[in-house]
Amino acid sequence: MFTKITKIMFGAAIALTPALAIAEGYDGLPRTFLWNPNFNEVIDTSEYAGEGPFTIGFSNASQGDGWLGTFYHSIQYGVSQNLNKIGKFIVTDANGDPTKQISDIQDLLEQEIDLLLVNPATADALDPILGRTMRRGVPVVTVARRVDSDSSFVSFVTASDTALARMSATWMAESLNGEGRIVLLPGLAGASPAEMRLQAAKEVFAQFPDIQIIDTQYTGWSPANGRQIMAAIIQREGANNIDGVWADSGLQGSGSVEAFIGAGVTGVDIPPHTGGDLNGMYQLAQEHGFPFAGIDYTPSIGAAAVNLAVDVLEGTPVPQRLDVNFQVVISKGDETRSISADVPLLDYVAMDQPSELIMGSGIPNYDPTNFSVKLPN
Amino acid sequence: MDLSRIGYFVRRFSLDPSLIIVIVLLVVVVTAGFLLSDRFGTMRNFMNVLEQASGLGYASIGQALVVIVGGIDLSIGSVVTASTVLMAAVVNVHPALMIPMIFGTLFFGVVIGFVNGYVTIKTGVHPLIVTLGTASILNGTVLIYTLQPTGSVPYWFEEFSYGRIGNVPISGIVMLICFLLVWVFLRYFQAGRALYAVGGNPEAAHLSGIRSNRVILFAYSASGFFAALAGAYFVSRTGVGDPRVGDPITLASITPVILGGLILGGGKGNILGVCLGVILISLLSNLLNYMNVSTFIQWVIQGLIIIVAVSVYVHKGKKL
Repeated sequence: MFTKITKIMFGAAIALTPALAIAEGYDGLPRTFLWNPNFNEVIDTSEYAGEGPFTIGFSNASQGDGWLGTFYHSIQYGVSQNLNKIGKFIVTDANGDPTKQISDIQDLLEQEIDLLLVNPATADALDPILGRTMRRGVPVVTVARRVDSDSSFVSFVTASDTALARMSATWMAESLNGEGRIVLLPGLAGASPAEMRLQAAKEVFAQFPDIQIIDTQYTGWSPANGRQIMAAIIQREGANNIDGVWADSGLQGSGSVEAFIGAGVTGVDIPPHTGGDLNGMYQLAQEHGFPFAGIDYTPSIGAAAVNLAVDVLEGTPVPQRLDVNFQVVISKGDETRSISADVPLLDYVAMDQPSELIMGSGIPNYDPTNFSVKLPN
Repeated sequence: MDLSRIGYFVRRFSLDPSLIIVIVLLVVVVTAGFLLSDRFGTMRNFMNVLEQASGLGYASIGQALVVIVGGIDLSIGSVVTASTVLMAAVVNVHPALMIPMIFGTLFFGVVIGFVNGYVTIKTGVHPLIVTLGTASILNGTVLIYTLQPTGSVPYWFEEFSYGRIGNVPISGIVMLICFLLVWVFLRYFQAGRALYAVGGNPEAAHLSGIRSNRVILFAYSASGFFAALAGAYFVSRTGVGDPRVGDPITLASITPVILGGLILGGGKGNILGVCLGVILISLLSNLLNYMNVSTFIQWVIQGLIIIVAVSVYVHKGKKL
């Protein structure tokens, strides 16, 4: 089994380097790494060190929405950047079904992969099979979502759901001077990123007793659902009685803004919104000028995870948890006491790009419709 | 070999014609596997597939019994889900209850199946509607209780889904035994043959002294039992009760039934065909994974195979 070495900050800094290459705006070490009140653990991977080219199996949970599609492109981009080290790259897709993903992983193991890269469909259900994979001597790197047991993987690559949610919720509460009636629009019910973000946001709002959460509605990270749900809330509450909308992503956040526009509320009269990821959300904020904070759950974690996987197979120490940088994007003049912008909205939004574009891919000149890279097989 | 020659062998060796299509498809998939991948044709991989097929196998046995009596059970996936949550939630609080809860969960499945059958008989409403209603009630109840995977089971229970005797998976052995017992029951027991009679012609069955209602109640109760058994398998495999684990199972359980030659409408078919259908679906999924084929293309291929199999069966079946 692997050895956990604590307090090896130098090793961690080396392993974090791949994340820095894709940063814009803030390009320091990830804040979750710097501000972690505990020691950051670094894993000795020398027992997995081998001669390339390597065979890597990637068990994907799903490609069910725009973010997941871009995330998969980021994974492919990461592989294309390591063609001299990765000889074979095998992909399975579970379409969101954890039981299929377990079978997929068994099929990958039968193909004698050197390392398993996995985006688990759920945090709990994949734990037993990943534990078995590790005990079989095949290192596991989880990306986007982790499983419960630390012993079931070598490293977890993320952009930190909790940090993203705490920062956007804090911005919302401070923008409203600590009082107001707000709506929460989380993502997909039961999906661990959505639940973690919602819980972290609620922690923040609980610190502001005069913030009243008038409704919480899951949206499945769908712009159409976001619009439909917010239209119903506006109908019930009245647009003027909603002071802010906290969305954990611009996917549904853009739908909410469109619901306000549909109700005749435009420009700066649209209440403050949060939610990154979707270029369309940034475009709406820029176009209408309402107070806005966007933080991407950057899909570039895909490429970072591939780089880290190669590190593991070369025996380089890696952090047990790799937090990839995110950028805090805030509309002009709307910074708050605790939350400052890493990048002004005007500099970040891509007005000449499609509204469907998912931001933070880390891929140069990224165009999802024509994306193509050279892969090993 | 043309169809008339196949027909000769069918008659010569008393082979059930409904099995021909699925056997031919199995031969095609296995042959393709040997040609396309050097790792597909290993005994280790086949045992792997047998292990992976078990959950679908249990669910399909229940669906097959209901289809034989002329019904359909759209609550199977929901019973699977509810069973996993019930078992994992209770055992999480009271680990000592693991073994009683295995039986308790199977009993829960029987009760839900019995209710499905009872409401179908008493109201005369089509089972498609009744079981869809049951599914909705169960899904809603489970989601009220938890939105996320919940609970846990002792580590040793993983052995049901991952354990091996020799190199043969325990869950696969249990599945094959279940298929064998059900086949013997349907073929050699009067009560078993009554299922075909009720499914083929309920009025004639009634006139010949068969208590149709009891037979239908039995079939739905058995369906609930096997759905709960599939639930136990999934708890063993994932270690948790998952409020969405059964979502794909309902439709998935119908596919092997169709491939196996059971006629939707009841009265005909061989449960061994369903067993082969389960293995075919699992082997196909395994092979496509080996070929690095996208899941979306896997769906297309599965759909095409179902349509081709049913078309061939419908048009050529009488000639065999």
